[in-house]
Amino acid sequence: MDQPNKVNGKTAEDVRPKTGQPSPVPDHEDEIFGKAYDFQLIRRLWRFLVPYRRLFWLAMLVLPLQQLFALTQPYIMKVAIDRYIAGAQLWGLQGMALLFLFALVGEVVTAYLHYYLTMLVAQRSLADLRVAIFTHVQKLPMSYFDRNPVGRLVTRMTTDVDVLQEMFAAGVMTLISDFLMVAWIVVIMFTLHVQLALVSLALTPFMLLAINFFRVKARRTYRLIRERIARINAYLGEAISGMAVIQLFVREQNSYREFDELNGAHREANQLSNIYEAGLYSMVEAVGTVSIGLLLWYGGGEVLHGIIGIGTLVAFKEYLHRFFVPLRDFSQKYTVMQSAMSAAERIVHLLDTPIAISSPAKPVVPKPFRGAVSFEDVWFNYKPNDPVLKGVSFNVAPGEKVAIVGATGSGKTTTIKLLSRFYDIQRGSIKVGGADVRDWDLQALRRHIGVVLQDVFLFSGDIRSNLCLGNGAVPEERVLEAVKYTNSDRFVSRLAGGLDAKVRERGSNFSTGQRQLLSLARVLVFQPEILVLDEATSSVDTETESLIQDALEKVMKDRTCLVIAHRLSTIRNADRIIVLHHGEVREVGSHAELMQKQGIYYRLYQLQYQMEEQKRGGLIGEAKV
Amino acid sequence: MGGMGRLKSYVWRYWRRYFFGVLCLLGTVTVVMWIPRWLREAVRIIEQGGSLSDVTGYALIIMAAGVLQGIIRTLSRSLIFNAGRDIEYDLRNDLFAHLQKLPLSYYHSQRTGDLMSRVINDISAVRALLGPGILNLFNTPVYFVYAVILMFSMDIRLTLVALLPSPLLIWAVRQFRGRIMKSSLAVQRQMAELSSHIQENLSGMHVVKAYTQEENQIRQFVKLNEEYQEKNMVLAQLRGLIGPCMQGFNGLSVMAVLGYGGLRVIRGELLVADIVAFIAYLNVLAWPTAAFGWMLSLVERGRAAMERLEEIFKAEPEISSADHPAAPVESNIAVEFRHVWFAHDAKANGHAVLKDISFTLPKGRTLAIVGRTGAGKSTLAQLLPRLYDATAGEILIGGREIRSLSLAELRRGIGYVPQDPFLFSASLSRNLSFGRDGISEQEILAANRLTRLDRDVAIFPEGLGTVVGERGITLSGGQKQRATLARALLTDAPMVVLDDCLSSVDAQTEDEILRGLRSVVKEKTCLIISHRISAVKDADEILVLDEGRIIERGTHAELVERGGLYAELHRQQQLSEELEQI
Repeated sequence: MDQPNKVNGKTAEDVRPKTGQPSPVPDHEDEIFGKAYDFQLIRRLWRFLVPYRRLFWLAMLVLPLQQLFALTQPYIMKVAIDRYIAGAQLWGLQGMALLFLFALVGEVVTAYLHYYLTMLVAQRSLADLRVAIFTHVQKLPMSYFDRNPVGRLVTRMTTDVDVLQEMFAAGVMTLISDFLMVAWIVVIMFTLHVQLALVSLALTPFMLLAINFFRVKARRTYRLIRERIARINAYLGEAISGMAVIQLFVREQNSYREFDELNGAHREANQLSNIYEAGLYSMVEAVGTVSIGLLLWYGGGEVLHGIIGIGTLVAFKEYLHRFFVPLRDFSQKYTVMQSAMSAAERIVHLLDTPIAISSPAKPVVPKPFRGAVSFEDVWFNYKPNDPVLKGVSFNVAPGEKVAIVGATGSGKTTTIKLLSRFYDIQRGSIKVGGADVRDWDLQALRRHIGVVLQDVFLFSGDIRSNLCLGNGAVPEERVLEAVKYTNSDRFVSRLAGGLDAKVRERGSNFSTGQRQLLSLARVLVFQPEILVLDEATSSVDTETESLIQDALEKVMKDRTCLVIAHRLSTIRNADRIIVLHHGEVREVGSHAELMQKQGIYYRLYQLQYQMEEQKRGGLIGEAKV
Repeated sequence: MGGMGRLKSYVWRYWRRYFFGVLCLLGTVTVVMWIPRWLREAVRIIEQGGSLSDVTGYALIIMAAGVLQGIIRTLSRSLIFNAGRDIEYDLRNDLFAHLQKLPLSYYHSQRTGDLMSRVINDISAVRALLGPGILNLFNTPVYFVYAVILMFSMDIRLTLVALLPSPLLIWAVRQFRGRIMKSSLAVQRQMAELSSHIQENLSGMHVVKAYTQEENQIRQFVKLNEEYQEKNMVLAQLRGLIGPCMQGFNGLSVMAVLGYGGLRVIRGELLVADIVAFIAYLNVLAWPTAAFGWMLSLVERGRAAMERLEEIFKAEPEISSADHPAAPVESNIAVEFRHVWFAHDAKANGHAVLKDISFTLPKGRTLAIVGRTGAGKSTLAQLLPRLYDATAGEILIGGREIRSLSLAELRRGIGYVPQDPFLFSASLSRNLSFGRDGISEQEILAANRLTRLDRDVAIFPEGLGTVVGERGITLSGGQKQRATLARALLTDAPMVVLDDCLSSVDAQTEDEILRGLRSVVKEKTCLIISHRISAVKDADEILVLDEGRIIERGTHAELVERGGLYAELHRQQQLSEELEQI
């Protein structure tokens, strides 16, 4: 990189890819390095604060109160020393001590109140933000999930939102209060004694310049650090996934050297930043001490000349002390702000991702609904200029059972995904119940179609929740019936808790066959008019296989069925077979008809189904050397 | 060695830095601690109506002390924080080096994200312990001891009064510490719940959409999210209390000094200057007091993180070079398998992937292995470069048991093309010359011609300099496979292992590549794994693997003749070729 240290400016734009059109390559949005302050972003996120604006303003109102309590303390000291100690008035001194205690308690209580209110606002609005992101992600089209790794989306909702929380806890709000505090102190000092204030604060302009210098430096190194840790991250991720290759080619030393280089560069940037930060911190402390010296020198004279009392000197010293603390902490808060802004930018970026597939404003509701399906000249591609379906047309009458067959990559799976409108087609039309899927209410459409995919996905929870999928209105009898009907009761009844038996993540505590049976039971609970089924190719034991076949026949009864068939029995039971080949419908007919034709189906049959049946029956593989 | 034991050895490595850092720290504290004394002297002179020039003298001393303090403080902070960075660097390097030694089986048992998080985040937490943690660990007690001694030396009774709130402070710190630990654990646990819900939702998105479960999923998320918010709020309340409380205790001391000190001044036992000095001391102590709780949490976090790192360090590099590696001998037999068995989890009586595999592969010959998916073909190939070690039996290369050879020598002798064509996100030329130092451009071009990669490179925007993207994402499957083949050929190893590495290449190109390969690698020993008959039909011997056993062996003609699994696979292959052509 030629100019990694651009001082002003386009930090985010530099790194962020031009978005708008989806690219097959995942964009590196994790590497956005934000500015510390971006008005646009803040305005976008402000709407999450709006519902809690009362609390927010209350928190802001507490601030001046807190500062009032804090800043009266030095003044109380002044009065106590100049008036009551100098005047030897014990009762007055006691009064002042009590007053001091009052101010102190006031400060502690208001400080806590401010923090509490701020955190309340932060927690609530960020919880809303998390829900907003989650809700938005639910609406994104499948194509988005094909492109974006799960891990990154999880980070958006967890780590990135937590970074924003960190900003509330340590950054923005206190930054405002810090600024106010510094301003108050200056006002008070000038009110107390103008010349003394001028002398005490004489070094401040120079210090502000120096702080700015450090800030710029620190920002540069901070950017470097972010860049370099991102590189270490990328390199490490790659090395871990490619460890076999590194070991096979005995390149451990080379990649160690490369890693060492990145690691060293990261250390170097950090150590530089450490020096800047140590310098900044120490300088503020030093200026604070020197200012006290100045105060003594000029103020001492004033006291000796009898113009002010010692108490004023003490009060000035106290004010100076409080003046420098926020300045000292500034750089730390600045860093927090910066990472918060880049997190905010990534979140807004995700929230701005278009939903692409949504229900029309006035959806059509075909009534009475019967499960007819038709594809008319459907063209579809995932990537431009690489069509997967080329003018596919076919009709399925209500109640008809149609098997779709074809070689790998012929477009079978795509066809059934299009029916539920997981993707939108480029040309032609797909109709369900006589209405185009794009005119349907998305949710209503999908509720009419029961989908069983090869890899059965079970959610963690229990069996019941997986069968009802949160639909509390399902009567218990229906669930029990579905379990029994699909032969699932054979293993469910053996489990501790029956329907309440726990399901671990992705259903890993159930066998493939059991998961398939449960997915069929799920269809029965939902009672869809149309069943879309991608039969699993993985083999299960003979007993389970016969249970599945039995259940399948029952589930398919009285339904419109579109099945990607891998079982010979399924094909034989189908009313019609559609043969897809290279994205086109090439043959249609019954098993007998197509076999007679000796075309694609004939070969497919020999290639896939004959073998499949033999394998399921365990006929092959017995010959030994 | 426990995690903290290991950490100590790192700290020792930089003991000089820490030593000088702490020395500077002591210097800073000394200067800081004398300032209130000078302040006292100056105020005393002012109070007693002395000469301005004396006051000016002290003022100058204080200013000089300020500057001096600034310089030493910069040094102490830089030295100690940078030592932390040095250890972070060493630790990260060592961890990386250790990871490189761990066998493939380790990576199957770990999630990449988890390993990354340890190498990045946990090391950061350890670093925070080593930098700011250690600094404050010294700072706080030194400040207290110093200040208390100096205060005592000025006035014992006033000091005792100033220290009155201390027991309260200690009590509060203890209270908070346990509760905050507990509360932040609860927050972390809830976060894990939330993350896994999101993770599951996203991985099962097709089911969520197919069954219109969006609302339901959102409802569940809202519930978990609310719990997370509540737990966070509990933590925030605790954290929010610490700061004001510490400040409050400090303020109490100030009040006590003002009240009681004032009384003594009125009685004529003390000067206002003494009160000023005491308050100055209390001001100095305010920050270390407030930082104390924070420091404790840094230490706790750092310790926990170090233990997690230790888990990686403790993982055994099960596969390593023999202590006294034997030199390979000249032999006509390149590879020999003698009754080799393999199970992924042998200790737990895992399912055997390879059963009683025996064969010999003469030097310069080609052996092919075919079989269905899951038959154990790849595993067999992975045993050769010792990505896994056989559970039973012997594998010999050049007449020596492979475990008696140097691991690096063994692997350098094999040009391996893995099934999963992994490329690094670097330029194509860097990827191709990955396997050996000093590969010339001519060699790369020759390898590209052989693997038919030259035609693709010609249309790449930057030719060989084209960056292939993460895992080679910008290349097609076939291009990636051919690139990994070229990479293996460029190692010049006497043996090549091709693990089904041309599956995404069309049949004609595959044929061209294999023909080209045979002409070039006449003297090379070849092990070809494929599910395509076309790729193996010219091999000197073909083994047919099924469920981990060799069920047929012979030449192409012999096996077709026999009419077993091989013949069946052959027939299927012909069918699908016919199908492609329709």
